[in-house]
Amino acid sequence: MLRGSLGAAALVGLQACASATKLAQTSAAPPPPLPGKSISLVPLRVSLDQLIDLKCCLRPLRAAGPNLGTEMVRDTLVVHNYGHGGSGWSLSWGSADVALGKALTVFPKEIAVIGCGIIGLTTAVLAQQYGLKVTIYSRDPIQRSRSFRASGSFTPSSRIALAEPAGPAFGDLWEQMARFSWKAFRTCLGLPGKPVEFTESYGLSDTPPQRRVWTPDPAITDSYATKGTPLQHTEFAHLDERIRDIVPQSVALAPEEIPFNVPYATRTSQMHFNFSSYAHMLQSEFFGRGGQYVMRDFATPAQFADLKEKVVIHCTGYAARDLINDQTVIPVRGQTGWLVPQPEANYGVRYKNVSVLSKADGVVVQNNSSTPELGDMLGVGNSMELVNRADTEAALKIIAPVFAPAARQA
Amino acid sequence: MVRHARFVAILAAPLLLGASPSGTSTLKGVYTEDQAQAGAQLYATRCAMCHGRLLEGTFETPGLQNRFIVNWSKAPLSELYDYLGRAMPQFAPGSLKPDENAKIVAYLLKANAQPAGAKPLPADTAALKRILLEPVSAKAALKAK
Repeated sequence: MLRGSLGAAALVGLQACASATKLAQTSAAPPPPLPGKSISLVPLRVSLDQLIDLKCCLRPLRAAGPNLGTEMVRDTLVVHNYGHGGSGWSLSWGSADVALGKALTVFPKEIAVIGCGIIGLTTAVLAQQYGLKVTIYSRDPIQRSRSFRASGSFTPSSRIALAEPAGPAFGDLWEQMARFSWKAFRTCLGLPGKPVEFTESYGLSDTPPQRRVWTPDPAITDSYATKGTPLQHTEFAHLDERIRDIVPQSVALAPEEIPFNVPYATRTSQMHFNFSSYAHMLQSEFFGRGGQYVMRDFATPAQFADLKEKVVIHCTGYAARDLINDQTVIPVRGQTGWLVPQPEANYGVRYKNVSVLSKADGVVVQNNSSTPELGDMLGVGNSMELVNRADTEAALKIIAPVFAPAARQA
Repeated sequence: MVRHARFVAILAAPLLLGASPSGTSTLKGVYTEDQAQAGAQLYATRCAMCHGRLLEGTFETPGLQNRFIVNWSKAPLSELYDYLGRAMPQFAPGSLKPDENAKIVAYLLKANAQPAGAKPLPADTAALKRILLEPVSAKAALKAK
């Protein structure tokens, strides 16, 4: 089916129908598709020759959730805004609003923002929107920050906290930040360059899809409380249910609709961020509003008080572990492979814990497969930030069969 | 220079307080705990549906801590009181009775770390003109720890 199908969406759709008819004969009474409902997709090219980049970063998991506390460093008010795990992009606006609310209580005219990842740059822009003069002090622009090595999907509760250390009240704060951010991202939809975009994401499987229910492993008697690091998936805070009223949920596809070489599929609409245009959007606003950028590093937090600004928002992400000696920040390694952008195939798939998402800034590949399945524990405690090409190669091999032409032609 | 600026600030303070020698500040404890508690109950039924159960607000509706209180501060408390009485709740503006309004203002002060005192907040614009709304700064809160 894939042969000659690029740019021939109608043909793809017809052949998907033909393939699905065979599958339907072995499936239990699927609902009949609406006329014209079959899905036509251009297949993604998930071959090694398309691989153009590998990125690795450390998500700053903080057991108690992001640090949004305040402290005085000599005569300087420091408001922290770091430790967002795998949710920095997704919570960036809401978290900035919370941090700035505290900063504003001392009536600053100007503030400093330390760090220029997604949290720092967003905080700087929101501060400007609140009328403040802002200088960012950072060793790198956002394009070279860990934030730019994320995957770019809206995942607001990904390794955001551990349930017990964060406590029951954290859910309310998280929801506040998530809802605020969601609304802020909505204002970016449809802008030139598509800094924020929705695409269809398909969950594929060889067996009837079942929601994975995690239960604590009774063999593991230790936990973060005793070891200072989480030991199993169930220790993590999982909060997405709280915003399911606004975030699209997945729906099952009828066999006739499935345009992939698998018998089962779900579809959901996934919000994601295109890094290049999103950074351009934020930087344009920041500099357009007169923001200053100073390239520098900090050796100790005492140096915050040497700045001329007497209110400092500290947004250094994983670097806070060393800079302010916050040992509750736990590295969670994540790697992404990037294929040549394929705008003609504008969707994502997940299969056997490998995900591929076609974005304007490239097709991002993530390999979350492991035996046994680790869930949120994957990468925990691993601060190796060098890439492992074999990991991405393995991911491409795992996912390639769903686009295989042979079975789809059957 | 710094001393001079402070001197000017001290001189200017009575002007902010409506030139009344008996003016005071929200930092001195201008409401009672009971009043704030009653205000919390009113808030839950008249305000929370828009401003949030925890006063957190939304992207479109103001939260009622931090930035909000800053925006209403360095001014007589009567300005906030009059605004609530005039314009809130948005679906029924003008429906708050004066004593209800004062209770809600008391609750907002409490929710913004302002200290309670022995006397209730008066439900009276003229009296509230003599009370300066001064936020508890993050700096001051840290010092108090």
